[in-house]
Amino acid sequence: MQFLEQIKKIYNKLTWTWNPGSEKESGDAIVKNILLHWFPNKISKKSLSWNYSFYLGTISFILFLILTITGMILMFLYVPSVERAYSSVKDIEFVVAFGWLLRSVHRISAHLMVAIVFLHMVRVFLTGSYKNGKSIGSNRPTNWIVGIILLLSTLLLSFTGYLLPWDQLAYWAITVGTNIASSAPIVGEKIRFFLLGGNTINQNALIRFYVLHVFFLPVLVLFLFFYHMWRIRKDGGLAAADNESLNQKPENIAPVKSKTYSLLGITKGTSVHVQTTMVNEEENSVSSAPHLIRRLWLVTLATTAVTILLAIFFAAPLEEAANPSVTPNPAKAPWYFLWLQEIVTDTTLKLGFITINGAFIGGIILPTFLIGLAIWWPYRDRSGLNSVGVWFSPERKKQNYTFIGICIIIIIFTIIGTFLRGPYWNFYWPWESWPMMPVKF
Amino acid sequence: MKETESTNSPNKTEKEKNSRREFLQKVGVGSILLSAGATGFQSVRALIPDVLYEASERFKVGHPTQLSEGVTFIEDRRLYVFKEGRSYYAISGACTHLGCTVKYTKLNQPKDIEVDGLTKKINFEFHCPCHGSKFYADGTNFAGPAPRPLRWYKLEQSPDDGQLIVDLGEEVEQNFRLTV
Repeated sequence: MQFLEQIKKIYNKLTWTWNPGSEKESGDAIVKNILLHWFPNKISKKSLSWNYSFYLGTISFILFLILTITGMILMFLYVPSVERAYSSVKDIEFVVAFGWLLRSVHRISAHLMVAIVFLHMVRVFLTGSYKNGKSIGSNRPTNWIVGIILLLSTLLLSFTGYLLPWDQLAYWAITVGTNIASSAPIVGEKIRFFLLGGNTINQNALIRFYVLHVFFLPVLVLFLFFYHMWRIRKDGGLAAADNESLNQKPENIAPVKSKTYSLLGITKGTSVHVQTTMVNEEENSVSSAPHLIRRLWLVTLATTAVTILLAIFFAAPLEEAANPSVTPNPAKAPWYFLWLQEIVTDTTLKLGFITINGAFIGGIILPTFLIGLAIWWPYRDRSGLNSVGVWFSPERKKQNYTFIGICIIIIIFTIIGTFLRGPYWNFYWPWESWPMMPVKF
Repeated sequence: MKETESTNSPNKTEKEKNSRREFLQKVGVGSILLSAGATGFQSVRALIPDVLYEASERFKVGHPTQLSEGVTFIEDRRLYVFKEGRSYYAISGACTHLGCTVKYTKLNQPKDIEVDGLTKKINFEFHCPCHGSKFYADGTNFAGPAPRPLRWYKLEQSPDDGQLIVDLGEEVEQNFRLTV
């Protein structure tokens, strides 16, 4: 019995912050726990609601954690050398206990992460959450730009991981990808040489992509993620909270409770103090511990469960070992780049004597333009305070339609590239069968 | 050191003190930037290889008489070598769009094409599996996104053993033929 008491005590010590017994304990829970200290003490009910944010950012980060954990195990099993990469992946798939599951979970979470990060961006755009509210020192456009860099890093992470199995799929996706870089005028060939560490896709290229994939990019994402989170606090929480504060009476709450709870309260500029005028109103807000924490656990559980289920049902493919002389027919990029592949196919321009490679237009100019547009957008968006943190604000109707339009075009091209392109990149309806193609020349 | 040059000298004006402080600050910041730049440069430079362990661009593909009439595909170099009677030529198998390997595709019936005003009969084409570019038998691009014709490479005969030598470093015109 003594022993059980002891266990219970330790359990309570570890979990009391998730399950505080009083208002004071709930405040302490946030301040005293390193994992929770970056959350606000109180959170508005709207920020917390499922159908405002859909917790897409949270899901992205949980997927990142799943990827880190499975990735670390895979690092023990994978050998980044041209001679052994393929066979080590084959071993992971067929010999290592639960290797297939690790690899499958890793792959599915990577795909999901690309999709969820994209959806997160869509959510932020459609709710006008890149806009500043009334709170002082708020600089949401910066965080939007950090988000764009995070999206690009996610794509790069996924793309660099694509080469590692050293199978046909990997080899040809990287061939196409790095040749897009070389289509840039003047410096293109040099960039490709630098990316590959040579003229051909070989050992140098493999180790480069490996180091980018397992160290450089994950660390970058982690740092950007910390900054992304810190900025949310600095910018006054989710944009939904700004929207709520609009409808509130301007009177401030006299005692600034938050100052006693949080170190953040005595920093200059946007302190918790400034933002808590609204958040502290009892009927609109709840304590982060346990309400936010509980939801985070729920989302974590659900994400993990869905990922594992998907991983079991959709096994990770492994094609034949990389063969530089035989291009699979059709050869496709990863699905999230297929809209680009579709575009590079259609955009070779002939202007008199000059022919511009479609790879340059579709692979470099267009993506650069889209990224530039996204970065510039928050600065040209002049809609009012009522459009901050609400879905489909009438004032931003045109903007939202434009954005949705671009997304739909990208999605349509992705679908065409994924399902409707067969051998030689010819168009086939899903019910049409592909002609038999000789594998060798 | 003269007494007047000491920093604690009461004769020093406020301005002089400040300019020295500013100078030292600039020297400090400058050294930091310089060392960061130098470290950055050497780090990036180390990643640009000086020696490549890649296969040579010039290589032998066998004795002319050993090649069969028509086309031979040199797999590991992605190269089509053609033999027409006594003349030989080589066309690259790398698509000029994004570098996939084009496939030699036999036509069901010969096709007339016009190149530079001349009509030629061809019985095969090159098709790219990645983005659907198509090339005539002589490498001229006619469909899909490929921006230019397939590359032709120089063929020579080795003086020592008579084998054919391909030089991937040297592009040649489409009328190139090596006659042996």
